[in-house]
Amino acid sequence: MLDRPPFEDIYREYLGRIYAYVRAQVGASADAEDITAQVFMNAYQAYARFEARNTTPSAWLFRIARNATLDHFRASGRRERLRRTIEHQPMAEEDPAAQAEDRIQYRALLGQLGELPERQRDAISLRHSGLRFDEVGKLMGCSEDAAKMLYHRALKALREAVQKEGV
Amino acid sequence: MSDKEEDLELQALQRQLDDAFETTRPRTGFEDELWLRMQAGRPAPRRFADAFSALLQGIREVPAVPMAAVAAVLVVAVGIGILAYGGFGHRGGGAATSAPLSQSGASRDYAGASGTFGRVPTPVFSGVPKSSQGPEAVADTASGEYLGPVQLTWAGTLDLTITSVPVFRYREPSTNTADQFATALGAVLRERPAGFLGSYSAADYTLKIRGTVQSPQASPAFFVFAALSMPPIDAAGAGPKDLADIFLAQHSLSPQWTYTIAVDSSGDPVKVLYQRQFDVPGYAPAYLIEGSGKHYGIEVDLSNNRPVLVSGLLPMNLDAAPYRIVSAADAIQSALASSGQSASATPAPAVKLTQAELVYVLVPAGDHSFYEPAFLFSGTFQLNGKTATKHVLVPAVDPSQRTP
Repeated sequence: MLDRPPFEDIYREYLGRIYAYVRAQVGASADAEDITAQVFMNAYQAYARFEARNTTPSAWLFRIARNATLDHFRASGRRERLRRTIEHQPMAEEDPAAQAEDRIQYRALLGQLGELPERQRDAISLRHSGLRFDEVGKLMGCSEDAAKMLYHRALKALREAVQKEGV
Repeated sequence: MSDKEEDLELQALQRQLDDAFETTRPRTGFEDELWLRMQAGRPAPRRFADAFSALLQGIREVPAVPMAAVAAVLVVAVGIGILAYGGFGHRGGGAATSAPLSQSGASRDYAGASGTFGRVPTPVFSGVPKSSQGPEAVADTASGEYLGPVQLTWAGTLDLTITSVPVFRYREPSTNTADQFATALGAVLRERPAGFLGSYSAADYTLKIRGTVQSPQASPAFFVFAALSMPPIDAAGAGPKDLADIFLAQHSLSPQWTYTIAVDSSGDPVKVLYQRQFDVPGYAPAYLIEGSGKHYGIEVDLSNNRPVLVSGLLPMNLDAAPYRIVSAADAIQSALASSGQSASATPAPAVKLTQAELVYVLVPAGDHSFYEPAFLFSGTFQLNGKTATKHVLVPAVDPSQRTP
């Protein structure tokens, strides 16, 4: 068996990326925190079974994150998700750090991304979270070429949405 | 739009997306909170603002002497139904045992002159009633706390045959104190993260040591986070208490103070709590309680016979001095005086206090902090069809020996 890096190293390296991926999917920072927490809880428990020779930590973690996000949507439903995105007043936004985050100019862009169809949103999120197209394809159950095509279609859809909304 | 223009636009959008994903990060503190929670093996509730956050609010402010005027009476947590740890933290929660020794450095007979420390700071508790809110507005079902105003009556007995009890004082631990403790355990200093005196590495665990926390009040503490390489404790037929005993003994962490043990086996991890007590001459041992009213001391969390988190009071030398305490009648009167007025149309619920016991509470006070005696009153009442428990804390030290 190949040596595994300490889980803490993986945790520190990927926490931010996983959070960003999840945040792009669910919109609300509070939901993103919950799901990210669940991702790493699950990963921590499963790490003893992680085989470094079969997959990269990145692909492994994003698979867990993707499943956790899908579980979230299944549990809450699209309507509920939208309601929470609109109405939710997360605790994070009460502290200065979160308020600073709110000022980030890309929030609106991620908001537009969140409105894309699920597979398009996923393709962009995974790609811009640092995964290669072959990894994106594997996670989404399609070939590398299909992942590229899906991504570019999604990118155009996002551009149109951005232009329409003037983000 | 030409293909070239479109390509340029898409490339710009890609750069924006790269930046967006690079700059979208969780709020400050989330990373450490989650890591600590993972080490504790706890489920991830919504938000991260439960009592465990005390551990994370490690940024040590310069503690100020509390303002007595704010808290002549301390009103403590109230559990709707049960406290956060279920039946945890009550005398009946587990088999009672006791350790043979008192706290290192604290004289058992407390023979010093009364009031040796001068006027001691009056304890402050942050959970005072929010009189501007109705009771339904302050029932916090997530934490089990109820902070709304209540109308209190006394229907129990409080017999006191003692007129003075010891107050304990400790010097705020330094990085040297923490380093010595870690070295004794065989752990090596790794860094000094914000909020902690030190973070140390050992073969199969990480040790972190924290000083006194002003708010929410928390004693100097150590935290042992097991690495994945930490082996299960191999002891055939041993129960959680036995396993915890073995682990603490193996790591020289066995409490050197009087305690009782409570075991919470309701979930994973199983929690074994060594509930610290202070010996009070002429009275039963008095529990140390935290702001929520829960007992604390050392907690060993076990998952599949494997310790995942051990946290507890950092051993410290305590000085002790007897202090005159208020009479039972005065204590009861103070407790009842904490009744609050509801500002809403809904009247404050009536609560009949039926029990009282002497306990100890932490009083942070700068270079030297204190464990001071207090009376813990409790009673139950019905709120929205559920049984709630109300706790009221009253300082026990006579007001003439406390700062105003």
